[in-house]
Amino acid sequence: MARTAVPVRGGPAVSVRPTPTRTSRRRHRAPLRPLLLLAPALAVMGILLLYPLVRVVLLSFQDYTLANVVSGASDYTGLRNYTLLLRDPYLWTVVLPNTVVFAILAVGGTVVLGTLVALLLQSLRPLSRTIVIGCVLVAWAMPAVTGTYVWIWIFDVDRGIVFQLLHGTGLLGAEGHNWFTDRVSFYAIVVLNVVHHGFPFVAVTVLAGLLTVPGELHEAARLDGATAWQRFRHITFPAIRPVFAVVTILSTIWDFKVFAQVYLMPGGAGSNAQVLNLGVWSYIRSFAQQSYGTGAAIAVLLTALLLAITLVYLRVLFGSEELR
Amino acid sequence: MGRTRAAVSVFAAGTALVLAAATGCTAGHQKPTLTVWIMAGTHPDASAYFADANAAFTESTGADVTVEFIPWGDAHDKFITAIAGNTAPDVAEVGTTWTPEFAAVGALADLGDMGWHPGAHVPGLVEAGTVDGRLYGVPWHVAVRAVLYRTDVFEDLGLEPPRTWAQLRKVARTIADRRPELTAFPVAGGAEYPLLSFIWGAGGEIALQNPDGTWTSGLDSPEAREGIAFLTGLARHDGVSSTGAVTWQETDVQDNFTDERVAMAVLGSWAPKAILAANPDLRGRLAAFPIPGRDGGYSPSFLGGSHLSIFEGSREPDLARRYVQLLTGDEYGPRWAQETDYFPGRTDQLAAFTGSTDPLVGPFAVQLSEAGKGLPVTPAYGRVQGRKILTAMAQAILSGEDDVEGASTTAADRVTQTLNEDS
Repeated sequence: MARTAVPVRGGPAVSVRPTPTRTSRRRHRAPLRPLLLLAPALAVMGILLLYPLVRVVLLSFQDYTLANVVSGASDYTGLRNYTLLLRDPYLWTVVLPNTVVFAILAVGGTVVLGTLVALLLQSLRPLSRTIVIGCVLVAWAMPAVTGTYVWIWIFDVDRGIVFQLLHGTGLLGAEGHNWFTDRVSFYAIVVLNVVHHGFPFVAVTVLAGLLTVPGELHEAARLDGATAWQRFRHITFPAIRPVFAVVTILSTIWDFKVFAQVYLMPGGAGSNAQVLNLGVWSYIRSFAQQSYGTGAAIAVLLTALLLAITLVYLRVLFGSEELR
Repeated sequence: MGRTRAAVSVFAAGTALVLAAATGCTAGHQKPTLTVWIMAGTHPDASAYFADANAAFTESTGADVTVEFIPWGDAHDKFITAIAGNTAPDVAEVGTTWTPEFAAVGALADLGDMGWHPGAHVPGLVEAGTVDGRLYGVPWHVAVRAVLYRTDVFEDLGLEPPRTWAQLRKVARTIADRRPELTAFPVAGGAEYPLLSFIWGAGGEIALQNPDGTWTSGLDSPEAREGIAFLTGLARHDGVSSTGAVTWQETDVQDNFTDERVAMAVLGSWAPKAILAANPDLRGRLAAFPIPGRDGGYSPSFLGGSHLSIFEGSREPDLARRYVQLLTGDEYGPRWAQETDYFPGRTDQLAAFTGSTDPLVGPFAVQLSEAGKGLPVTPAYGRVQGRKILTAMAQAILSGEDDVEGASTTAADRVTQTLNEDS
């Protein structure tokens, strides 16, 4: 680098090997300062995020059980955890479909409902808008654990509101129906729970985007006779596409790794093998069965899947040239 | 760089020396301290008990004791991280199903040379604390399940506690018929221990060890299937359970019993106290009977409870042993049982309970001493429980997803495979 004859800014114009003048020394020192300022934050992130991440990846290549936790010894087995997992029909017939189909339905439901609520909010007067936002945010502020138990109670076999409603209208006998044993109805409840918990975030974010769209565009389109759907499709959506990209990607990431909403449901902690998803399966393999290596491998698979999906999203939503 | 490191190590060594000298000086004056972990959450406040026991211990040995109460729910994780991080206590109450697991990884001290008489303790619990012929946990207290029932419902319908499976079925059907607002006998899909009683009661076994050391599950044997079919049949064909019970856990059974929605159910000896505390109206309307045998006698019930164990890294192993002896001794052993509604782990102390006329104590004590049984003693059994193989089988049958034959074959294969995994 220093052997070229490029003039150093502010230094001697031509020099084959520049001597370290005061200016060039300052130039060398300069990049260090931002790094130093960033160091505390980077150190915290390194300890809290990077170290566990690296550890999980390393664990996924080991046969790691309680005995290893105690002795501290490592037992590397190469790709064995991964080949066993990928050959397990349980992954392909139960866990992966549960995770993916659920995420598609939940993300779709969250984004559509959230957008509709945002459009509603946009058309409201400030006072009523504040009231509606307040109500909507209650659903968002509810902790996932609390929300999940509320949904479990709603669908309680003997005393739930749903049972009383269906029984009252004569659609269901006194013996009731157990919604938690069947995979489809189990996940229908999880979708309700997650959409209910997730749509306020989408609504508020999309509303913020909507408020930036100039009113003249809509006015002009209205004059040209565009319907509400056409105005949304051709004006609103293109204008706030990045907002949709963000809420979709974030929802996808959240919905792929839902844990409490499945684990806390009756049978969701393992006694109903038909309803596990990748996150719960990873937890049960690691901590209930103390097969930490396999659990880590599942977690790595989940992360890889999420990264791949996020990349595809970015390409589709922004086009390849905008990515750069 | 090299010089810096050398300087650092010299400094460290110097500090260590100074510290060692300092501790050496004070050792004569400072009292040794024992750290003890006791489980919390299933029994009432135990601080008075430990205040007395620790005062007695300090008086006789001069050593201090610090007792830490650990909630059951977090205890397993806490033990594992403590074992890994070398911060385990000197003495701890360890759940009987965990003792073989911790012993197998070398975390517990062999207690065999402490002069225990194996015959003096409840045999099932000694068995549960023994790995490869060595004792790693001294039975401290025992808990067992039997059938808890509502005496007012039984009197009202003119029913007697059943003594055989056929009678149990008849009683349950009568209640379901005459008192439709009650669940006569819930068969909870998420509770494995009641199911075990009926498998054992029919002569089946979860798993047996072969002469070559491998394990074979007996869940697909005709005997085990008979027990599984009887219990699940009560729900599927006799209608004495409920649709909701398919996904109930034992805590749900207890909650519904407390709410007076259940007539009889398999529950633990610790349950009556909690039920009466939550619903005092039930006082005088509760009693228990041992789980009936198929054709009379009793069906075995899982012997749960706790061991007292000493951790391998303890710095005061002799004091730890004396502390274990104190807690299991003649004074503090029975007192612990009395205050917690458990049963003492020593057979001589247990005798006082078996003769009890209390309808909520006597039947449990009879169940315990006449028909208590342990799980297969192998560190791998923890993984069978972790994989929820038995409850998955029960739920598949109860929800109609699979029949007894299919579900028991699947479960047997999974148990055999799990127990024979080398890691």
